[in-house]
Amino acid sequence: MTILKQKGFYYKLYSCLPIILLFISVLNEFDFNYLNLKFFSFNFPFILIFFFTLKDVKNFDYSLVFIAGLINDTVVGLPLGISSFSYIIICIATSYFRNITIRPNLTKDWFFFLFIISLINSINYTILTLFFSYDILLWSYLVNTFFTFLFYLIFLTIFRYYIKGLND
Amino acid sequence: MASSRDDFIIAIRSAFLKKSTQQKFSLLSLVFVSLFTLILSSYDFRIIKYIKIGISEIVYRSSFIVSIPENFIKNSFIEISDYSTFYSDYKKNKKELNSLKSNYVSSEIIQNENKELKELINDYVSSSNKVLAKIIVDHKSPFLKSIIINKGSKDNIKIGTNIYDQSYLVGRVIEVNFKTSRVLLLSDLNSNVPATIAPQNIQAIIRGNGTEYGQLKYIKEGIFDKFTVDSIVYTSGTGDIFKSGTPIGKLKIIKENKNPDYLVEFYSDFSQLKYVFAEIEFKNETQKSNQDTLEFNNEIKSTVDTKIKILEDELKIIEESNSKFLIENEKLKVQINSLNNDLSNFEKKNLDQKKIIDKLSTDEDELKFLRLNLQHSHKCRKTIFNIKGFLVNTPEYKECILSKGKN
Repeated sequence: MTILKQKGFYYKLYSCLPIILLFISVLNEFDFNYLNLKFFSFNFPFILIFFFTLKDVKNFDYSLVFIAGLINDTVVGLPLGISSFSYIIICIATSYFRNITIRPNLTKDWFFFLFIISLINSINYTILTLFFSYDILLWSYLVNTFFTFLFYLIFLTIFRYYIKGLND
Repeated sequence: MASSRDDFIIAIRSAFLKKSTQQKFSLLSLVFVSLFTLILSSYDFRIIKYIKIGISEIVYRSSFIVSIPENFIKNSFIEISDYSTFYSDYKKNKKELNSLKSNYVSSEIIQNENKELKELINDYVSSSNKVLAKIIVDHKSPFLKSIIINKGSKDNIKIGTNIYDQSYLVGRVIEVNFKTSRVLLLSDLNSNVPATIAPQNIQAIIRGNGTEYGQLKYIKEGIFDKFTVDSIVYTSGTGDIFKSGTPIGKLKIIKENKNPDYLVEFYSDFSQLKYVFAEIEFKNETQKSNQDTLEFNNEIKSTVDTKIKILEDELKIIEESNSKFLIENEKLKVQINSLNNDLSNFEKKNLDQKKIIDKLSTDEDELKFLRLNLQHSHKCRKTIFNIKGFLVNTPEYKECILSKGKN
């Protein structure tokens, strides 16, 4: 990594990687479901935002997260502002969690993540059905929450390598 | 207790208001902005609309570019899986092609007939232009099933424009930008299509359920028994949202429980769409199509309306007289049947009488013979003195008696 630091541009690019990944994921809405499994979907931006805001990574700007939310709404076709609201709620939750945590613990983080995504998906479901009269299947939200919760551990391992590389 | 509450408040305040060096905005302000945007979009504010259109124009293009690598992986995966089923698919397609070829001819005849009939009824035909559109964004959101196409208001696409994959219905446009549009797929939960199920001719609503199948809704109870597998489902045109007669899919009956599920298997595979057709409709009057002024237009419209009204009245009269004729026809049929019965009875009677007459006439002949026999038997009977006579009970003897003994 010292090589990266010497080469300014590459280091900057490396440090901006999470936010670039966030924008790519909202523009592309990663699916990974090539086998067309009926009960499979997960929310990658939730995992990404939760992890990097919890770790307070440099260059992970809240305003960019907000813009990513707006893009996600446009791509998915949701009412403008709902994803931004969800993403900012994650940021607030992680900020609060960071403040009250003295000794970080993986299990605690993981279950706090489950609580937050459940809360956000509930709020989203309520807003979409009550105020925008969308017909949404509740089980699809539940499945999404479950798989997002499970996939957190997998992506956590990958992101840790990234953090390690950034700190070295 | 008090200290823990204080800690909580401090932590919350810090989370909302504290801005680290790299952050440009506090989270509280961003929450307010997102809530404000959400409220404005719920009231469909014009500013939000324009912002959304602006973002859409940039984002859809960017999304198309960003999706290239994932689409490449996806397509490679599909291609590989296609190769594994290549031979069976080829056989199936060949069989299907043969049946389609035979269907094509009859379908063309029906189409022409339909066009003629429509012209007769309405005096105008609805002609349409199908515009080829490319799908630039196809995100499989677990909640919303929609696609983005590269045609917008610039290409005369409007909200509600029907979208097809070849001749199969795919969905309709729900959002129009200048160069792009969003299409709500039939598989989406918010999609409802009025449809007809053939050959039973049952009306229903096809609703998406987020999967590759549609659900039948609002069907009278007890009518389900009439359904058969592979019944064809096509648009009925009710509500004027979708054009009538467009194929949607075929009926599928899944018997997992006691009560079988009736689903519609869409003809088009929405996950494999690359290009679609957007139908831009315009109505074309067959008579006097070149009208320049609005006044003249109205005049023509009124004459056309009157003509339609006259034709409708005429149709009504024809229908009424037709029904009368039908009733009369039925009555006559009954009458003919009863007359036929009478005739057969008479014939039978006649035959019986003829038999009796025949019998009587034979009796009369016998009587005549006996009478003549009494008078002329000595002349015809063969005796020692009358050698020229005949033996009794022979035909010659009978003939002799009838001719009064003249041999």
